[in-house]
Amino acid sequence: MKKIEAIIQPFKLDEVKTALLGIGVDGMTISEVRGHGRQKGHTEVYRGAEYKVDLIPKVKLEIIVIDARVAQIVQALTDAARSGKIGDGKIFVSSIENAIRIRNGDSGESAL
Amino acid sequence: MKAHRNSRCGRRSPAENACKVGLLSMLAISIFLGLLTPLIADDPKPDPAGIVTGDKTNAVDGGGNSFVITEPTDKAAPSYTQAKKDYDEFKAQADKEPLAVKLADSVGHVRVATNAAWTLNTGYLVLFMQAGFALLTCGLVRKKNAGHLMMLNFAAYVFAFIAYYAVGYAFQFGAVAVNAAPTNLGGTPTLNHFLLGNGLWGFLGGKGFFMAGPAYDAGSNILALFEVVFMETAGYIIVGSICERITFWSFLLCELFVGAILYPVFGCWVWGGGWLSQLGNTMGLGHGYVDFAGSTVVHAVGGFCAMSLSVVLGPRLGKFGRDGKPKAFPAHNIVFVVIGTFILLFGWMGFNPGSTLGATDLRISVIAINTNLAAIMGSATAMLFWYMKFGKPDITMACNGMLAGLVAITAPCAFVGPTSAVIIGILAGLVVCLGVLFNDNVTKIDDPCGAISVHGYCGLLGAICVGLFADGTYGAGWNGVGATTYLGKAGQGVTGLFYGDTSQFLTQVMGAAICAAWAFGATFLVFKVVNSLKSMRVSREVEEQGLDVPEFGLPCYPEDALHASEF
Repeated sequence: MKKIEAIIQPFKLDEVKTALLGIGVDGMTISEVRGHGRQKGHTEVYRGAEYKVDLIPKVKLEIIVIDARVAQIVQALTDAARSGKIGDGKIFVSSIENAIRIRNGDSGESAL
Repeated sequence: MKAHRNSRCGRRSPAENACKVGLLSMLAISIFLGLLTPLIADDPKPDPAGIVTGDKTNAVDGGGNSFVITEPTDKAAPSYTQAKKDYDEFKAQADKEPLAVKLADSVGHVRVATNAAWTLNTGYLVLFMQAGFALLTCGLVRKKNAGHLMMLNFAAYVFAFIAYYAVGYAFQFGAVAVNAAPTNLGGTPTLNHFLLGNGLWGFLGGKGFFMAGPAYDAGSNILALFEVVFMETAGYIIVGSICERITFWSFLLCELFVGAILYPVFGCWVWGGGWLSQLGNTMGLGHGYVDFAGSTVVHAVGGFCAMSLSVVLGPRLGKFGRDGKPKAFPAHNIVFVVIGTFILLFGWMGFNPGSTLGATDLRISVIAINTNLAAIMGSATAMLFWYMKFGKPDITMACNGMLAGLVAITAPCAFVGPTSAVIIGILAGLVVCLGVLFNDNVTKIDDPCGAISVHGYCGLLGAICVGLFADGTYGAGWNGVGATTYLGKAGQGVTGLFYGDTSQFLTQVMGAAICAAWAFGATFLVFKVVNSLKSMRVSREVEEQGLDVPEFGLPCYPEDALHASEF
């Protein structure tokens, strides 16, 4: 089992969701997060004084899938979330030891 | 948290006690004065039921000429022969048609009633500005202080009202009938005694403490309702500069001070028939100092009081970096800011046109249009100024620009034409933008909501604009000057420099300077002392955490409780 963690632009969420549903992804967890990458945010002017917007709002998706599907899902995610500009975000893939369904105690891949 | 709370409640410093003793003795003195005044003057009777207010003497035509002609008493006066002839003619006609004279009593009463309805309803509009200010200032600060801002705005209304009720109204209008009787409201003849000064040199009114006795009168109460909401405006202006760091107890002291002393004293000088308004009669200075609806009486008093308090308190933590560079604390709710501004614009339709104290004065339409013209031009100017200077129009500055236009047109609104109103609006838009940059970069006075620039600087601008742009079409006989002719012309009203009256301009500049000096100086004196006895600022930890919970025990947005201090 693998976990795909994607940090994306909030306005791309709808497109990404549609794309993932389209290739049969059953579940996902989404959270609103804030952070920065190499650009360290940007500055704005308010009433003549500067301030730094260094933690920019993003959306984080977490999807747990069987190993065989990872490549296809990452491809769909990348295509849907890309605008080609700085700030499009990143995808991380990691291994998952186990999964348990709380309702009936199923574990392993059958719990996904 | 708990320990902090206990430590605050447990201690009562000598300073706090001194403040309380001061307040109590102020109340005691004013009660004494209230009881004393009926004894020292021979009084007309108040009319609480409003039955005898408004009779045939109030039946006047559009130009204010009375239907009733009174018998001249001064036989030595040069106009005596003509006056006596007019009186005899009137007397002969009145004797022939007694029913007409009786009918005139009804006409006069209805006229006062019409004006009462207008004045009260515009007063209600001004009252609603309180909601606009609460939204505006709350939206302009950081999320962690939103509840604090709401409480300040709310308590301002309550506590300033108490002070104005007790002594403020009497100080301001206790002698209004002497030189500035509001004839539209029946003249309030019972408010006729100066506590300090007399005749044309009045400094402080002295009748109507606790709005009782001579002030328990229908006409006087119309005036009281309308004027108390004006005082409240000055009362909540200060919130815009002292917020996000002031303790609640010291804020209440500020409000009592504004409602009892700071506002009423200058108000008496200009609107209560006091010495500034009578400079035309005493020293030949134009129509005396003229401020139609309060650019200085209300706004500059509030603005310079705010400036003074901000200096005493010092800037918010982190507002100016080590290098002195200003840092921005962005507004947390732009929706509040814009809606608050529109509520204020709406309320201003009571503030300015209502200041005629009468719907029978048809100049109200001109005033309403002038007020709007200045508002939109102020906003447009501020918007474009920011657009050109910083590349993006700042929403909060566009709102400040609208308020700046409104503040600046408040004094001249009745005396100028539409072109002048537009120019005044543009000037105000520039002044407020430059004022905000000036405070941030030169004086380093922290002004979170721009109150000093909007109300202080633009208030002075408004008073000076009367002396520049007044075109003489309105205000004949203002402050008892030039009732028959002025500058050699019959019916010539208040006239500015551009229309030929230099003395009016000089009076306005002087009056505006006195206003700023009084509001800044008196506030500084009192609160520098208070602050040295006990700091008026919250502790560093409280300021960093946000004032909502430490001061009032409740965050404005409980859902943010986990990370409230980030905003």
